[in-house]
Amino acid sequence: MLFAPLLALAASVVFAQKPAVKPTEDLPLGAMQAKANTACLECHEARIILQQRLSKAAWTKEVDKMIKWGAVVDASDHDALVDYLSTNFNPDQPAYSPSRTANEESSKRVNAVRK
Amino acid sequence: MNSRRTFLRNVSGAALAAGALSSFPAWARLAAQSGASDPPKIDGPGIDVPGEDGLILRSYRFIDLETPVEYFNTWLTPVPRFFVRNHMHEPSELTADDWRLAVLGEIEKPLTLTLTDVAKLESHAVVNTLECAGNGRSLHRPQVPGVQWGKGAVSTARFSGPRLRDILQRAGVKPAGKHVMFRGLDEVPGKVPPFIRSIPIEKALDSDTLIATHMNGAPLTKHHGFPARALVPGWIGAASCKWLTEIKVLESEFSGNFMSPGYRFPNQPAKPGDAVKPEDTHPLTALNVKSVISSPLDSARVKPGKIAIQGAAWAGEADIAKVEISTDGGASWNTAALGHDQARYAWRLWRYEWKAKPGDYSVLSRATDTKGRVQPDTAEWNPSGYLFNAVDQVKIHVA
Repeated sequence: MLFAPLLALAASVVFAQKPAVKPTEDLPLGAMQAKANTACLECHEARIILQQRLSKAAWTKEVDKMIKWGAVVDASDHDALVDYLSTNFNPDQPAYSPSRTANEESSKRVNAVRK
Repeated sequence: MNSRRTFLRNVSGAALAAGALSSFPAWARLAAQSGASDPPKIDGPGIDVPGEDGLILRSYRFIDLETPVEYFNTWLTPVPRFFVRNHMHEPSELTADDWRLAVLGEIEKPLTLTLTDVAKLESHAVVNTLECAGNGRSLHRPQVPGVQWGKGAVSTARFSGPRLRDILQRAGVKPAGKHVMFRGLDEVPGKVPPFIRSIPIEKALDSDTLIATHMNGAPLTKHHGFPARALVPGWIGAASCKWLTEIKVLESEFSGNFMSPGYRFPNQPAKPGDAVKPEDTHPLTALNVKSVISSPLDSARVKPGKIAIQGAAWAGEADIAKVEISTDGGASWNTAALGHDQARYAWRLWRYEWKAKPGDYSVLSRATDTKGRVQPDTAEWNPSGYLFNAVDQVKIHVA
């Protein structure tokens, strides 16, 4: 009886662990996904993009700033990249829902089960 | 004055954390104490960022972490709950033995200090509420580019280390020296400009401006600038350069990217959505007056009866004069009680007890500081989304 709560806890932790938590996110599918991966994710992860809700004009400014800062974008891809970003991340999209880092409680439980 | 109280508070915090296998997780107990019934959402185990405790992940690489508002319930923020703002990657190779701090520019005697040299200087402690200039950026309309911080790019800690003034006096500032530049060891990807900013000599020589090596009594962790950072109290977080490697006294303000066009504010209020010319802006310095509600949480369901509405309020270089609470969407206001813990640059915790009848409510908090500044209904929109400080609001359902 004494161990029942611990067993229940262990079971819930195993369940919670099942989907491996990938620390970084991916950019959405699309013709420009691969190009955006190399142009943008070389320096920062996808979340920085996923959380923006910007107009096409604002995305154009961002892309131009990033090119100045070293992002490699072929001139022929420039407009398509801006379209890809402003189609997926414009002010009409629902708000981005961020993840949380593990908290002390969840980390300790995971470690206790691993032992 | 506060050390004993703070010590007791830290001990109780540690005890809470140590009780990890007790029947209720810490958030449930904290929520129960404050009257809120909705726990913060952490789906699954969360993403493992060693040393960080249940923070909102704005970016993993480079790392940007936001403190959830429900953690604004201790005067000092435990380091694992203290928000993290990085512009770039953290230094990959930086050891206490190899680290050097160069002091140069408009001075009589250039210095190169080791961490041991810095540790030998008289240490001074400042409790400071550190807030990212972009805190609340996601709440500006229209939305602007940048890390989309909610309300929690702000935390409070006791920072300690030598005064910058003592180091500058050793080096001997020449009369031409009017600004002090900090260079961080942030690792720059691509052609991004290095993280360099400057502050005016008056603020650099202030007795509370530090080269901080410790935070809440422990050496700085890597995310917070180990082994040393500037600590420019009451000013935007970006002034407090992390992984400090160089202090340079300049004749004029540094003009690189992170001083211009970065971290500038319109001289005149801008029309939301409009561009602002660089010559019509000035560098950001001290923080605004602001309060945030930490409990109940937005969208919470709360039981009728006595409800504690709680939060924190700060005002940069000024003090908080009062915090008012409205439970009727702003029609009437009541004064909250301010917590007894206080220090010149630190936030005040506040609390207002309210007898709630069933219904839907919009609860507001509004801070006023000793300079007479009042938290506005709408924050002043600006192209980079800095200094959001509108009256805070949570909507709750009492049933």
